Amino acid sequence: MYSIAYFVGSMVILLLIWSLVSAITKSEIPGPIATWSVFFEMLKDPFYDYGPNDKGIGIQLWSSIKRVMMGFGMGSLLAIPLGMLMGGSKFTMNLLNPLIQVLRPVSPLAWFPLGLLAFKASEGATVFIIAITSLWPTLINTAFGVSSIPDDHKNVGKAFGFSRWKYITKILIPFALPHIITGLRLAIGVAWMVIVAGEMLSGGVGIGFFVWDSWNGLSLEKILSAILIIGFVGLLLDKFFNGLQNYFAYENRK
Amino acid sequence: MITELENEILIEKRSETSNCISVKNVTISFKTNGKGTFTAVKDIDLDIKKGEIVSIIGHSGCGKSTLMNSISGMVRPTFGEVTVNGSRVTGPGPDRGIVFQNYSLLPWMTVYRNVYEAVDSVLKNKSALEKKEIVEYNLKMVNLLQHKDKLPGQLSGGMKQRTAIARAFAINPSVLLLDEPFGALDALTKGSMHVELLKIWNLNKRQQTIVMVTHDIEEAIFLSDRVVVMNDGPEATIREIVDINIPRPRNKKDIVHLPEYMEVHDKLLSLLVKNLSIEDVIFE
Repeated sequence: MYSIAYFVGSMVILLLIWSLVSAITKSEIPGPIATWSVFFEMLKDPFYDYGPNDKGIGIQLWSSIKRVMMGFGMGSLLAIPLGMLMGGSKFTMNLLNPLIQVLRPVSPLAWFPLGLLAFKASEGATVFIIAITSLWPTLINTAFGVSSIPDDHKNVGKAFGFSRWKYITKILIPFALPHIITGLRLAIGVAWMVIVAGEMLSGGVGIGFFVWDSWNGLSLEKILSAILIIGFVGLLLDKFFNGLQNYFAYENRK
Repeated sequence: MITELENEILIEKRSETSNCISVKNVTISFKTNGKGTFTAVKDIDLDIKKGEIVSIIGHSGCGKSTLMNSISGMVRPTFGEVTVNGSRVTGPGPDRGIVFQNYSLLPWMTVYRNVYEAVDSVLKNKSALEKKEIVEYNLKMVNLLQHKDKLPGQLSGGMKQRTAIARAFAINPSVLLLDEPFGALDALTKGSMHVELLKIWNLNKRQQTIVMVTHDIEEAIFLSDRVVVMNDGPEATIREIVDINIPRPRNKKDIVHLPEYMEVHDKLLSLLVKNLSIEDVIFE
């Protein structure tokens, strides 16, 4: 109950600051009310499709989410096994750690041309940059989770002669799972940030493209609406993984 | 001529006297951070017969657990060797059931699952139904059947301990290794766990060999046939092996009045504790 009250309070602060900025700039940046009327129009028919450069916000959003999920999914499918491999042996950890440290800080935009070259299409390139920038948090957290399995748990496997498969499924994964999900939660945040930049470069359809297209059309109300949508979808994605985190935290499952 | 009967008796005698666990001239050293080695135990010789209950007792850090771990196979001796049932120990194995000092239950599994996964791993050839029966039988033995669906986090220390014991017994090992199994329990729970342990041992016709690490003299006397007293580490050696000649079944309340009990208790106490009293201070 209180969390809802805090959320509302927080939104009120946002609206106040927003209105203030709008007043200072003499409505060059549109205020909440002006934005709301445009936003409302957008929501009235979110799935219209009048050709390649004029689609409803729902279609834009949905194509972005699909892209994010593809990139995020592919990155995670690579990151989780690799992270387990790293966490499982000091050798692979020491061998791969410098590589990760070098590649991790690279901006998604820097990867974009490589993606274009590899996939010969902007669609593939966008998914590629999401995958390659969102896999690091999952990789690092998985490796950390697996490497911090207590000796007590490992000894159970040794003492009762667990097979490799039993060790992985009954000890390694259950122990590392909360860490993996924390990684995924950070990764989806990164992926959702990268999508806007990616689509601005790639064009076509998507929430990032919509922002850029609205800038070209000089509709700041649409840009602000899109920012709100991006923010709320990000919040929902985070909440979803937060829920997963709580569900799989075995300490809490009582 | 040796008759068949005599032969049988001979074989029986031989198997009676044959050692189940044999620790020969074992020294265990660990590398310490970069430079030098730390020798935990040195020149240990210890033979344990089948069906015997032996306690290893000594001060903290005297290498009791290290010695125990060389039998379980968790630690490899630097020199010497350990044999169990005639074969050399090179690693942990299902012929030795281990109850760890801190229970080591897997916190994401129910009591039932914790025992089941061990049984499933060791007794691969049994059918699913047989495995289920084994798990339930062992949980019943430690009075945990009604708690089988609880997670370790929901259990008291005594219940966790009983789960760990059920898990160790369920794989039907010929040797049971207990590393300070009752250390974390309150005195009342401890007392009933001792009785439980002997009950299970009796149920298995006293065929299982039990080695237990402890620092509790009363516990050692009540449970053991022999008590191994260790010197203080590093380079700990066996100080003395004390026989406990108190007939079984033993009653906790009665045995303390036996002269044998008092004698052996005094002996162990003086082996372990140097100063039995503090000097009187005279205030002037």
